[in-house]
Amino acid sequence: MMLPPPALQVENLHAGYGGAKILRGVSFELAAGEVLVLLGRNGAGKSTTIKALMGLLRPTAGRVRLAGQDIAGAEPHRIARAGLGWVPEERRVFPDLTVAENLEVGRRPARAGLAPWTPERLFALFPNLAGLRARPGARISGGEQQMVAIARTLMGNPRVLLLDEPGEGLAPVIVDLMVEAILALKREGATVLLAEQSLAFAARVADRAAILETGRIVWEGAIDALLADTGARARHLQV
Amino acid sequence: MDLIFLQLLTGLAGASTLFLVAAGLTVIFGVTRVVNFSHGSLYMLGAFIAWSILSRLPREPEYFVLGVLGAALATAVIGALLEVLLLRRIYRAPELLQLLATFGMVLVVQDVALWIWGPVDLSLSRPRWLRGAVEVFGLRFPFYDLVLIVVGPVVLGLLLLLFHRTRWGLLVRAATQDRDMVAALGVDQRVLFTSVFALGAGLAGLGGALALPQGSANLHMDLSVIAEAFVVVVVGGMGSLTGAFLAALLIGVLQAFGIALVPKITLVLVFLVMAAVLVVRPHGLLGKPQAMARGEVEALAPIRPAGPALHVLGLVALVLAILAPFFAGPYLLSVLTEAAVAVLFAASLHVMMGPGGMASFGHAAWFGVGAYAAAFAAKGLGAGMAAGLLLAPFAAGALALLVGAFVVRMSGVYLAMLTLAFAQIAWAVAFQWVEVTGGDNGVLGVWPDAWAADKPTLYWLALLLCVGGALVLRRALFAPFGFALRATRDSALRAEAVGLDAYRLRWVAFGLAGAGAGLSGAVFAYAKGSVFPTYMAIPHSVDALVMVLLGGVQTMAGPIVGAVSFTVLHSWLLMGEFWRIKLGLLIMALVLAFPAGIAGAASAAWERWRGRAP
Repeated sequence: MMLPPPALQVENLHAGYGGAKILRGVSFELAAGEVLVLLGRNGAGKSTTIKALMGLLRPTAGRVRLAGQDIAGAEPHRIARAGLGWVPEERRVFPDLTVAENLEVGRRPARAGLAPWTPERLFALFPNLAGLRARPGARISGGEQQMVAIARTLMGNPRVLLLDEPGEGLAPVIVDLMVEAILALKREGATVLLAEQSLAFAARVADRAAILETGRIVWEGAIDALLADTGARARHLQV
Repeated sequence: MDLIFLQLLTGLAGASTLFLVAAGLTVIFGVTRVVNFSHGSLYMLGAFIAWSILSRLPREPEYFVLGVLGAALATAVIGALLEVLLLRRIYRAPELLQLLATFGMVLVVQDVALWIWGPVDLSLSRPRWLRGAVEVFGLRFPFYDLVLIVVGPVVLGLLLLLFHRTRWGLLVRAATQDRDMVAALGVDQRVLFTSVFALGAGLAGLGGALALPQGSANLHMDLSVIAEAFVVVVVGGMGSLTGAFLAALLIGVLQAFGIALVPKITLVLVFLVMAAVLVVRPHGLLGKPQAMARGEVEALAPIRPAGPALHVLGLVALVLAILAPFFAGPYLLSVLTEAAVAVLFAASLHVMMGPGGMASFGHAAWFGVGAYAAAFAAKGLGAGMAAGLLLAPFAAGALALLVGAFVVRMSGVYLAMLTLAFAQIAWAVAFQWVEVTGGDNGVLGVWPDAWAADKPTLYWLALLLCVGGALVLRRALFAPFGFALRATRDSALRAEAVGLDAYRLRWVAFGLAGAGAGLSGAVFAYAKGSVFPTYMAIPHSVDALVMVLLGGVQTMAGPIVGAVSFTVLHSWLLMGEFWRIKLGLLIMALVLAFPAGIAGAASAAWERWRGRAP
């Protein structure tokens, strides 16, 4: 039996800033409907991988296939249109636009085979936002900004969602809400690549894990296997 | 009472065209973060194109409306072309280079307009309906002024609708706040930027076309309107449409009353109002602190004292310069005298711009003040050359400190625009205050003392004062003052945290730069024997910027190399009828190809060569 092509396929990705090489051949695959977490210490290349996938940083070598289409080195807006949806670590909510307007900026045409996102569906996913539609982005809390950032990206109906440290700097209650939201997305069949420092957060949402160290994937497998493998965790994650 | 009311209406009418220009400028700045110097050129093109269309059409009102809209549309298309050909390439460049590149465009458009429409002012023969008057509260008031008064708020309303009720407007507002994020959400920035630029250009063209019936299409309207538009945009708050509207009303009404009551000091009045507004609200009436566009600031390489090789080179050049009168003819000697003046002029600007991080677009003001101080010493006081040379740097320095006291609170494009506005006012004073400055005729007969009258002595004197002055400035930059100044440039916050008074340092640098430029202006005055308002005009300020840029902002040798090469270029290449287009293209080529200047490129090449050598 032929397997369906992976939703996202990354082969031998190299990237860096100026002379500093950060990624030295990152390869992994993401199946449709799967949540994969990229783990690793500070500076291992998690955010750089996300930025290189999104075209914000031009890869120096390697291939990135999104649903079969090669997107490596394309411009960010083309990559976004091809179906990669990026939620930045700093959230970058438009401060002077209202919550509803923020979502509207993200709106892109529906994609065949995916139920299109609407503000109503997103307000159901993030009930906290429903009452804040007319509030400017600068005047909502950090957790609410994180929700707006995710909802805004979902308005583009991405095939694959890139989440960069969605739990960072949030209160535990809000982190719980974030976990709930990601699990809800997963039930809807969303495909998610998560960059994360916290194994605890990853363990609650991810199916599989890949560990980055000095720009390469050094461990890959089911998240349960990682939780069981104290040796791997000590080698690659503990500081 | 009646007079006041009529002046108010006249002011409101003038405010409308000013608002159209400023609105385009502010919208373009909001999204692209480029301060478009060539915006006045688009206004001028709008007027010329409107003249070409309207002088061929029937004279009924409906054709007038059609012609004006046609001119605005044509200007919008030209704007889109400019964006695609030039601006798109410099979005990531430092602000100063953007301003300079768009100024290069100003020069090119001036010569193109000269070539197409000729040097004569073109006015429209106005049909009767345009000349008519309406009774307003028993007073006869020109009908066309009323039309203009209505156009301003109508355009503001339409723009607000466009920005708040359409998806395009939403994307533009989002891009104003974080353009890279907008791209990552799937929006093609290029389409957005080009369309925004076309809209801004169309507004400028509309302003120019609407201004045509009351005046003429001429080759000076570009720079006169851009200075006013800068003031309006700064007072209103960069990026704010409603702010631009309010500021245009304020400035328009102020000018109308100024011209009626105290014509001589109108421009000074405008500057004072701007100063007052900015002291109370540093970001303008409705402006917000500008967040830096993300991830664009490049770290500057530190400035190092020249190595031994460069010292030897500099010494050889100096010895050659001292010996020049023994082998150079009179023409070359006068070019060299100008070069010496240019060295100090450029070096003084470099103090502010390089280590101070303050790009001035009005440096010629201090040069001019120095020159007029020398002229005043010679003509008004009947004093000798020594008095003039002494008075000039003090006069220019004192005035620079006065203006600097509030200008150095600003940074980046605000500072550039304020210095430009001030220089424009200084120019206008020199131009209008005929009793003292002789106006356009200038002050003639500012000759050096008898002992310095022959060319070689004058040249040596210029060399001594200008190279000496430049060396003093260089010394200051390697003194603790210079280090502190550079620390302030790199991070005002951190500099203050270690106890440096950032404001004071910048203020002193501003005054120092003014004094240096003043001295160079005085030397120039004695070398030429005359002083004219053009010494203070915008193109002369830009000359200084081009010199510094040509040499390289981040090198100490830069201004010297730049000043000498620019003077040589100017006396050979940039002569003749279409010199503007040559200079404009040179500036654009420089910005696009050698953003680090000659000395910068040479120093980088030297480093590479040394890096490879064992």
